[in-house]
Amino acid sequence: MSHEPQFIDAHEPAWPSIDEWRAAGAPAGGRVSIANTLDPESLRADLPRLAAIGLHFPKWTDGRAYSQARLLRVRLRFAGEIRATGDVVVDMVPLLVRTGFDAVQLRDGQQPGHARRALGFFDGHYQGDVHEPRPWFARAA
Amino acid sequence: MYRYTDFDRRFVRARAAQYRDQLERHQRGELSDDDFRPLRLQNGWYLQRHAPMLRVAVPYGELSSRQLRALARVAREHDLQDAGTPRERGGYGHFTTRQNLQFNWIPLARSADVMELLAEADLHGIQTSGNCIRNITSDALAGIAPDEVVDPRPYCEILRQWSTLHPEFAFLPRKFKIAVTGAREDRAAIAWHDIGLQLLKNDAGEVGFRVLVGGGMGRTPVIATEVAAFVPWQQILVFIEAIVRVYNRYGRRDNLYKARIKILVKAEGARFVDAVGAEFRAILEHDADGAAHLIPQAELDRVAAHFELPDGVRAEPSRGIAPAGDAPLAYRRWLERNVHAHRVSGHRAVTLSLKRPGQAPGDVTADQMDTAAALAERFSHGELRVTHDQNLLLPWVREADLLALWRAAKDAGFATPNIGLLTDMIACPGGDFCGLANARSIPIAAAITERFQDLDELYDIGDIDLHMSGCMNSCGHHHSGHIGILGVDKDGAEWYQVSLGGADGSTLSGAAVAGKVIGPSFSADEVPDVVEAVIDTYRSRRAANERFIDTVRRVGLEPFKTAANAVRRETAEAA
Repeated sequence: MSHEPQFIDAHEPAWPSIDEWRAAGAPAGGRVSIANTLDPESLRADLPRLAAIGLHFPKWTDGRAYSQARLLRVRLRFAGEIRATGDVVVDMVPLLVRTGFDAVQLRDGQQPGHARRALGFFDGHYQGDVHEPRPWFARAA
Repeated sequence: MYRYTDFDRRFVRARAAQYRDQLERHQRGELSDDDFRPLRLQNGWYLQRHAPMLRVAVPYGELSSRQLRALARVAREHDLQDAGTPRERGGYGHFTTRQNLQFNWIPLARSADVMELLAEADLHGIQTSGNCIRNITSDALAGIAPDEVVDPRPYCEILRQWSTLHPEFAFLPRKFKIAVTGAREDRAAIAWHDIGLQLLKNDAGEVGFRVLVGGGMGRTPVIATEVAAFVPWQQILVFIEAIVRVYNRYGRRDNLYKARIKILVKAEGARFVDAVGAEFRAILEHDADGAAHLIPQAELDRVAAHFELPDGVRAEPSRGIAPAGDAPLAYRRWLERNVHAHRVSGHRAVTLSLKRPGQAPGDVTADQMDTAAALAERFSHGELRVTHDQNLLLPWVREADLLALWRAAKDAGFATPNIGLLTDMIACPGGDFCGLANARSIPIAAAITERFQDLDELYDIGDIDLHMSGCMNSCGHHHSGHIGILGVDKDGAEWYQVSLGGADGSTLSGAAVAGKVIGPSFSADEVPDVVEAVIDTYRSRRAANERFIDTVRRVGLEPFKTAANAVRRETAEAA
């Protein structure tokens, strides 16, 4: 499992919220952040004008944004950047990558080296994911 | 039973290596206690009262003798400490209602070594704790029960694989438990689970699942709601994905006690069912590769091949199991209580009772594990099952071997003929071990066991489910006991709430329902007297051949309440 994400400096400022971006006239190439309670379906009309979406983890054990990322990629076919923000720790990175995040802003003090090692333990998984949609049984056959 | 592939083996070894990396970062101070906790939990490591607890997964309750010997080795070599009473020195395990095995005394510093040792025997602790999809449970008689419609084990294995390290569902609002049955009788308490699956055949003979969602115990006992009467087996992974996604997105995370899916199902009702249906259709109709997790026939066949009859098991004419006229009474009783019908003619399933004086319900020492493994090798093709009520079961015993098995089981202390009787109680480890418990379970279980040692009396009382939990988390399933005992904390003292009339959903117990509390809590000393008073009330009130649960339903709680109140001592003064 490669698909190493881009690691973003912890001090890089947050993107405007989706509402702020819309209020500013929804300029093309928008980079916005959304709450983890937002239904990605509500972004359908905006997606062609969005270059990047930041999904938020208020606590790293709050797993809602994994479902948002997966829906953005697999259902809404969003091809721009999906960035994990908030309380993001290195041990989440394998899950983030598999659900469609391609950029990770780790919590201050986390080491990207640990995240890279965390990506190397498994040579495959049972169920499909965003990069390998087929489950193991369909690949092994 | 299922045999690991090379991929499965690489997978559990990779998991052990990943865990070692996390443990070492924790030991070096690079991973705080708070950040390490969810990671160790998802490998089965709790920190509790005295030491860490390790919960090892026994998927759908199937265990090989080789695995049980590996668990014995873990108990003997790692589950140890050098101080305290004999019970506090470790060296034993505890089988749980969810068919897992727990150790209580392994130092955390050895935890990565133990995971590697387990991986060598195709064992692990993946998702035995944490807010994720837990180990899948099933009927202990899966694949051997005469009333089975569809063998659930291949589907359990496919579900096990699908749910293992699912990247989207590792951090749900709360823990998530799935139980599967394929028999006419529900021996897996499916209505008490987050998802309960009943395999059945439709009028056309096709196999599918009746799907229940939102059952659970805890503070708010809820019986699961049917969300689909028939999901074709090919679609079950997709259907479960839809359920878990709806839960992950909309389940409450603001209040620990309202975070289980049962609360969402109750609050949303039909809207929840509609949301699952809409999500299910969206996956199949709109998602890129949305059909990828439909199960092909070839995959079902591949997995089902693991569950064919063991080599050497073949139907033979049954000569019945009526004992010779001069057979010992203890053997007759064992045949009556511990030996179960089998779908393969000439065979029986046999329960090894883990309910006996001097040991806590479900406990086994390292030596006892080795002995049980040897019995499995000699009498049951090296296979065992862990039962929901915390016993072991040998699934492939020839009728002709029953007498020899009884003698060997008796020598090993596994032949207490009490299966389904009062002393075959379910109990959690309670306050002696568990950091969550409000009160101890083990001394109460021991006192009741002592009180009811007369087998004639036990047989006269007959079939009864006594379930005991040390706190509201309900690991001892007190809600579903005909008699339920719940430990509660009042001003730092241990008290026990007693309920009557609960049911797990089995034929004997009737439709799943939570028991009703019979008044204010009792003191620990009073509990055995209360149980005795309740039992005496039953014996004086019962109609001919009427079982305890039926008498409770017929006459209502009042007479039992009156009898229980009459034995109050300390609690009478407190009130």
